[in-house]
Amino acid sequence: MSEFKIADLFRKPANPLEPGGTPRKPADDREQCPRCKQYFPRKKLEKNLRVCPSCGHHLTLPARRRLEAFCAGGSFSELFSDITARDFLHFPGYEDKLKKARDGSGENEGVVCGTGIVGGVKCALFAMEPGFMMGSMGAAVGERITRTFEYATANRLPVVGFTASGGARMQEGIISLMQMAKISGAIQRHGEAGCFYLAVLTHPTTGGVTASFAMLGDIIIAEPKALVGFAGKRVIEQTTKSKLTADFQSAEFVLKHGFLDAIVDRKQLVEVIGRLLKQHTTEKKL
Amino acid sequence: MFKKILVANRGEIAVRIIRACREMGIATVAVYSEPDKNALHAALADERICIGPASAVQSYLNMQNIISAALATHAEAIHPGYGFLSENSLFAALCVQNDIVFIGPESDVIDRMGNKDQARRLMMSAGVPVIPGSGVVTVAQAKKAAVKIGYPLLVKAAAGGGGKGIRIVEREEDLEKSVVAACEEAKKAFGCGDVFLEKYLTSVRHVEVQILADHTGNVVCLGERDCSLQIGRQKVIEETPCSAIDEHIRKRLWEAAVKAVKAAKYTNAGTVEFLLAPDGNFYFIEMNTRLQVEHRISEEVSGIDLVKWQIRIASQMELPFRQEDIQLRGASIECRINALGGGKVSFLHVPGGNRVSFDTALIQDAEITPFYDSMIGKLITAGNDREEAVRKMEAALCELVISGVPTNIEQQSEIIRSPEFHSGQYDTAWLQKRKEART
Repeated sequence: MSEFKIADLFRKPANPLEPGGTPRKPADDREQCPRCKQYFPRKKLEKNLRVCPSCGHHLTLPARRRLEAFCAGGSFSELFSDITARDFLHFPGYEDKLKKARDGSGENEGVVCGTGIVGGVKCALFAMEPGFMMGSMGAAVGERITRTFEYATANRLPVVGFTASGGARMQEGIISLMQMAKISGAIQRHGEAGCFYLAVLTHPTTGGVTASFAMLGDIIIAEPKALVGFAGKRVIEQTTKSKLTADFQSAEFVLKHGFLDAIVDRKQLVEVIGRLLKQHTTEKKL
Repeated sequence: MFKKILVANRGEIAVRIIRACREMGIATVAVYSEPDKNALHAALADERICIGPASAVQSYLNMQNIISAALATHAEAIHPGYGFLSENSLFAALCVQNDIVFIGPESDVIDRMGNKDQARRLMMSAGVPVIPGSGVVTVAQAKKAAVKIGYPLLVKAAAGGGGKGIRIVEREEDLEKSVVAACEEAKKAFGCGDVFLEKYLTSVRHVEVQILADHTGNVVCLGERDCSLQIGRQKVIEETPCSAIDEHIRKRLWEAAVKAVKAAKYTNAGTVEFLLAPDGNFYFIEMNTRLQVEHRISEEVSGIDLVKWQIRIASQMELPFRQEDIQLRGASIECRINALGGGKVSFLHVPGGNRVSFDTALIQDAEITPFYDSMIGKLITAGNDREEAVRKMEAALCELVISGVPTNIEQQSEIIRSPEFHSGQYDTAWLQKRKEART
């Protein structure tokens, strides 16, 4: 009876909404924590790096916000922003999806790359944008990250990469899968040049991203409760015909099984990243 | 008042009756068949007696055993519930012979109303509208009568019930063989081959009126129920009030029902069934001389406990209210929950909340056997108006969980969600047609 879930037994009534009353307007300046359901002024959440002040839940943090917040004193400078996706397969609906993703996220691709100073160390950085097609990895995302590593190799810089992705971008077919090998190659050369790569896995890091560069960091850390996995939980259950535990593929579960080096709270990240960069970088100290 | 009552039934209705007795301080005797030895009705009663094996004929229909059980336990009265022996005049007479009160009308009244042809003639003489038709006919008489009635028409068994011994005749050339077939079926099913003809009305609704009558001749009407939602002549969902009639028709309908009850010299709780035509005319079909499955929705809107009043009337009490005291409030709906196969209840969750009830004899680990009626519960909701009752029903059906036994819960949800049900625009043929269109 341990897996017996009473909630699954009840169906949802189809009763239409009762008319009347004044519909509640969504408060623009307030946002709800999806875990504890409490409302907070947006400003307060932003100041707290979008970590719930009440329950500590890590809400989604947009890529650019993250990089600007983590790099000291406005030191983030973007690179390769001119590389964008094209619908080379003429995949049905892809153009529309891209337009929606651009309008919705304010970014022109699923990753933001550049350089900046974290904890006093100059480094190259990339952060994937969960608001852009779930941070899915197409040719442009792959190219931007590859070039970031190549730039870092040429300039003997460490790389800090924040992953957040649903995996390969299916609208670009096999080309999106090829990014896995391309980025992995760039990381290999970056490493051979004696440079340090720190991977920071944020919610969610899955699919082809997990299967390549997310897991290739010299050190790999994750944010609390982040989903880290390759195939989805349901797919695994159906394939293996076994029931998985509720915490399966949580960062904590992945850490316990040896795939992570640490779990670090977002608010401690700058300090931890800075310390690691200092420990693993000998040149270009400012 | 009776000190002890034997309940000659099983399932939810036996539980319903025992609950009323427990509230009234009356001791109860349950009878049960061998497979029902752990059934809720037997457990709830103060005493329980096994009356035979699984087969209903040898147990719940076994008059001698039931009477013996009543005598052995010194029960003063027998409540028959519905189905089984509830409309058996012989059983009612047997009770009287053994100095046991039969909670229901008198034996000869059951007889009179049980014979459809007799009942029809009685109603005609009392001025209650009946469907144009004939008396009991032979094949030759049927041909003559059919010309007057017109096609389509029905051939019906005089002693009929449960949809047996009924034939629809669309054309004159089919009449003879239909009469013969109905005769034979009636002979087999009821031991009496008498048949009569009746005009076949289409797009009709089945509307029935709940009555309580005491020995002083005080007859009160507790409103009507619309039971048009039927599949294979089995009621599926019932509601009160009927949404298809205005106050003017309602008043005439109630008056006709009271007239029918008075003409039959009827006492106790009963139901007068009518067919309601689209033009607002209604016709007497038959009188049910017992408690109905769907009595609970009338209780919801009237606030009157029909089972308790059945017992009180049988104990010679007079009704302390008259028609003008009866106030019907709001609306109520019943969904019959049927087992679609056998099984064992592995998990049971019953919805609750204000004016939501589930009348059932189901308990955890209860076995559903094929021996008896497939109805395993009645989900009843009530509200200030029809919409509220419907919303409650939708929500309650989604909360009702009976694991381990296949049921019609989801089918009931589909009906409740349909535009036809929402608008109240349905007739007795709708569900059957809908089912056939799907298969």
